[in-house]
Amino acid sequence: MTPLAYHEPESLDRALRLLADIEGARCIAGGQTLVAMLNAGLVEPPALVSLARIAELATIARGPGGALRIGATVTHEAVTESDDVARNFPLIAQAARAIAHPAIRSFGTIGGAVAHGDPNADYPAALVASDAVIEIASGGRRRSVPAGEFFRDYLTTALEPGEIVVAVVIPAPPVGARGLYLKFARVDGDYATLSVAALLARKDGACTHLAVALGSAGSVPVRDRNAEKKRIGKKLDDAAIAELGAALAARCDPVDDVRGSSAYRRGLVPGLVAKTLKILSA
Amino acid sequence: MSAQSPANAVGQGVPRLEVREKVFGQAQYVDDMVRPRMLHGAVLGSPIPHGRIKSFDKSRALALPGVKAVIVGPELPAHHLGAFIKDETALAREKVRYIGDPVAAVAAVDLATARKALGLIDIEYEELPAVFDVDEAQKPGAPLLHENYEKYVKVYPAEFSGRNVLTISTVSEGNVDQAWAQCDVIVEGVYESPAQAHAYLETNGALAEFDAAGKVTVWSCTQSIFKMQAAISEALGLPMAKIRAIATRVGGGFGGKSEPGTQIIAVMLAQATGRPVKVILSRDEDFTMMRVRHPAKVRVKTGAKKDGTLVAREFDAVYDAGAYADESPGVVGFGVLMARGPYRVPHVKSVGRGVYTNKLRTGAFRGFGNPQTAFASEANLDDLAAKLGMDPLDLRLKNAMRPGDTWVGGQKVEACGLVECLEKLRKQSDWDKRRNSPAPAKPGKKRGIGVACLSHISGVLATSAIVRLLEDGSFSLNTGAVDIGQGSDTTLAQICAGSLRVPLERVNLVNPDTDASPYNWGTGASRVTYTVGRAVASASDSVAEQIKQRASIIFECAPADLELREGGMVGVKGVPGKVLPYGAVAGFSHFVVGGPIIGTTALMFDGPGFDPKRALLRGVPFSNLGAYVFGAQAVEIEIDEVTGKVEVIEAWSAHDVGKAINPQSVEGQIQGGVVQGIGYALTESVEWDGGRVVNPTFMDYKIPGALDVPYAIHPIIVEHPEASGPFGAKGVGEPGLIGVGPAIRNAIAHAVGVRLSVMPFSAERVWTAMRGAA
Amino acid sequence: MQVELNVNGEQASLMLDARQTLLDALRVQLGLTGTKLGCNQGVCGACTVLIDGKPARSCLVLAAGCGGRKIVTIEGIADGAKPSAVQQAFIETGAVQCGYCTPGMILTAEALLRKRKRPGLDEIREAMSGNLCRCSGYAKIIDAVKLASERVPA
Repeated sequence: MTPLAYHEPESLDRALRLLADIEGARCIAGGQTLVAMLNAGLVEPPALVSLARIAELATIARGPGGALRIGATVTHEAVTESDDVARNFPLIAQAARAIAHPAIRSFGTIGGAVAHGDPNADYPAALVASDAVIEIASGGRRRSVPAGEFFRDYLTTALEPGEIVVAVVIPAPPVGARGLYLKFARVDGDYATLSVAALLARKDGACTHLAVALGSAGSVPVRDRNAEKKRIGKKLDDAAIAELGAALAARCDPVDDVRGSSAYRRGLVPGLVAKTLKILSA
Repeated sequence: MSAQSPANAVGQGVPRLEVREKVFGQAQYVDDMVRPRMLHGAVLGSPIPHGRIKSFDKSRALALPGVKAVIVGPELPAHHLGAFIKDETALAREKVRYIGDPVAAVAAVDLATARKALGLIDIEYEELPAVFDVDEAQKPGAPLLHENYEKYVKVYPAEFSGRNVLTISTVSEGNVDQAWAQCDVIVEGVYESPAQAHAYLETNGALAEFDAAGKVTVWSCTQSIFKMQAAISEALGLPMAKIRAIATRVGGGFGGKSEPGTQIIAVMLAQATGRPVKVILSRDEDFTMMRVRHPAKVRVKTGAKKDGTLVAREFDAVYDAGAYADESPGVVGFGVLMARGPYRVPHVKSVGRGVYTNKLRTGAFRGFGNPQTAFASEANLDDLAAKLGMDPLDLRLKNAMRPGDTWVGGQKVEACGLVECLEKLRKQSDWDKRRNSPAPAKPGKKRGIGVACLSHISGVLATSAIVRLLEDGSFSLNTGAVDIGQGSDTTLAQICAGSLRVPLERVNLVNPDTDASPYNWGTGASRVTYTVGRAVASASDSVAEQIKQRASIIFECAPADLELREGGMVGVKGVPGKVLPYGAVAGFSHFVVGGPIIGTTALMFDGPGFDPKRALLRGVPFSNLGAYVFGAQAVEIEIDEVTGKVEVIEAWSAHDVGKAINPQSVEGQIQGGVVQGIGYALTESVEWDGGRVVNPTFMDYKIPGALDVPYAIHPIIVEHPEASGPFGAKGVGEPGLIGVGPAIRNAIAHAVGVRLSVMPFSAERVWTAMRGAA
Repeated sequence: MQVELNVNGEQASLMLDARQTLLDALRVQLGLTGTKLGCNQGVCGACTVLIDGKPARSCLVLAAGCGGRKIVTIEGIADGAKPSAVQQAFIETGAVQCGYCTPGMILTAEALLRKRKRPGLDEIREAMSGNLCRCSGYAKIIDAVKLASERVPA
């Protein structure tokens, strides 16, 4: 068996050059998904480019406008342990905390999770609901893609060959916004059978901001911006919540698998959306 | 660990003999072993569910650098194997019958090369139509899995008729057909339970090595070194004198390591290469190639008088045997035998059949047919209680077996603590309050509590024990019984130490090894404490007699004047000063008179047996089993109204174990069984798409983790001594699991009024049922 | 490729393929077989080791990426023949049955108690939630962690 080449560049430029030069090379951060795939023989790259030593990818900091910039190699554990994230971006903190188990969270990274593009995972729905922007780099350029456009299909993202995720940027939520990630799974640590990521801000009882995205509800996170817009300036009463839930259920295209049938998942949407929004309205 | 254990360790929760090596990471499981020049083996499974092998070509695989041997089924002699029906060969020779059916094996210098070589073995199949459902399989014209079924050797008086039916067991007593007329209330239901995977943390594996004289040593994680020795002998035509089977530490078995895993394959590869070969299955290989619990569909009909007295029980079950018989006849027979439940029911008719399908074979798994039976029986009883307007615990109490009652078939059961189990359960779970005026559930949840009873056996088949007095007054104990993690080594050593009045440290337990150990059928059927323990106690008593006999020469008295004393001494009764340590007696025996002191016992379980004048038993592959154990379990749950997800809040599990030799181990077995039962009831189900297992990984097949079960699982030990058991003890290995499924099902009925009949009670099933009932 | 690993305080220089997991390197190259292979996809936790003090799934970590990191396995927990507080507690409470999950459980518990001195019951359950056990039903394992936490100096 040909030995697998392993590179540990210390700069982003060097990493990008390696990825451009070696055809089929894959980058590796925490490895919690990629190594499982290597173990199972699902991928056989000629080379691995580790991002572990690239300092600029490993930071969490606030940026312009108070946006939260999470470097691609920041671990789920670091996200859950950040006071700033816990207090000001609770939806993100909760989504990170819901991932698998502690040992996985010690090593798994947001960049890896995002690049994998699994709609059954926890970050994608939370990032779509948060209007996050994915920063991408390749040898030639940098670009940004909103999360809602980044996830294209099951395990398919906007990343082109040679591109890597360098950061995830989450805009500062509106003043007074509350966030919640509600995950329903068969057992603790499992992928969600259905999850709801929601942000809600109200002033004098009327919605000023509403964003709801569903995980494990289709080939990408499911969101209905038109249905959300309808609620702005109005109260979020039971009828409104039910209408939003129905709209989202209609947009779902969940799989049939061991975690649940398509009909069940779609059937859960109104109830779980209602539960989430009621908690946020309390 | 205390430096000096109490002289009589029986009844103490002493730490396991091997616990230090396990917590230090020094325990040797088979994959930890390395032998000089060892090769690695891998197994190729059939890619299709049913087909004839037309031709094969090994050349591409053999040409891969590092490959040392390739064996394909058609090259092997037609030696048939099987615990009850000899319907399979070590590798598939003429037909493949399930996706994953082992058909070839490779030995290579490393595992990656061996696995790569599997893909280079060219086998041409003529694909045949396959059948995946037990009803379809019995229809005329259904694909036939075993065309030569009638010719297969069967080691029991098998009964079979019908297409793809491999075994039919019938047990009946009284006259059920006439008894319905006496009943005021009759309730009938059909209950389905899934295939459950053992999901032991250590996959199946074996390491085999031949010596220059042509004798092979096989190390493996097995529940029976003697079954492995026999299976290898049968498969290869080697005499058992040339086969040495040794047990390594076992990382869980639960029935899934009772039959051969990779032992025979490892031996064949070792023979072909002349080098040691280790064959360890990957997790998904173990999930798809080995065996799982029988899915079952059981129809139960129970009739009672309006005061709740049970009168008649009819039971009719179909078990999916998968592609090979494996232990199906035993599972079917036992499931049918347990159909009455631990109750006084005069009229019983129970029938079960095993049916072949082109799926992974099904075999022994904790409970051995009883969980499927208990689900149906205990769900049905609850439905009956509801119709009668009776509390379900009261209904069970009213009809529970009492000491002196008979099992179906007439076996008298002298020791029966079922009533005490129910009463303790009622008290400790605060049943009446939880049932009738429960505390409010958390918002958005519904709360309920359910109960189930169970009975099981712990005495069956043959075993033996050898106890030797060592020169310094220590002992060596050898039984051939494999400790698969349940703690039997320690329990047996406690029985020996307790019988001989020595500290536990003075008993050496010999690792099971067919070269040295006397025959023991195996670890399973909850039998080691009772059946093997009996042999240990008896062999220890024989040693005690011999010690007294030798000592009587030294003291110049009669052996009857002597007694054993704490600390390993023998002395004259009533004369404290006249005492000798065992070491002195051993020295005397070795150098002066009598020769070495060795106690041996060989026994076959010898309970009363079934009475053919009283009951009809046909096609049941046991002539004798017993040492019945009894239990009652209660589970409190909460159901999420939005998702239907069932959460177990608390569980109580009361078991009459005769005597708890090691209470800590007994508790551990109960708690472990309950959690495995929670998995079976709520989240575990092997799923197939046609013939392909769709969830052969821990990612997709979910067993409970620490957050999925309550911390509060209360084991309740009840002790009604079993006269024939060592210190009164009988078994508890399997019971913890058996009643959990129906207890949860009954709790769901209490919580939200839906009576489920299909397990597992996944959130989706409960949610759907709740909406249906609304 | 050549990889320098620091395992249980000792330096080891290994010749590895980059494909090799840390689990494989520990068990095969270093003969440290206390860490177990259960599923090879990071679900069961039998392969748990500590990397720079954090519990890690050694089956999902490439050995090649471990240069410069401190790895602790079950073999590095005891002080010679003296068990750690966690190991001693596991011995006493009946937390060990077949023993296959035990090394992973102990490593996870060690990491917890180094981080949190007096964890509550729910914290313990949460910390241990990533390690599967098929034998014990978890209760006695949780008892062991609780007992150890009471004995570790505050």
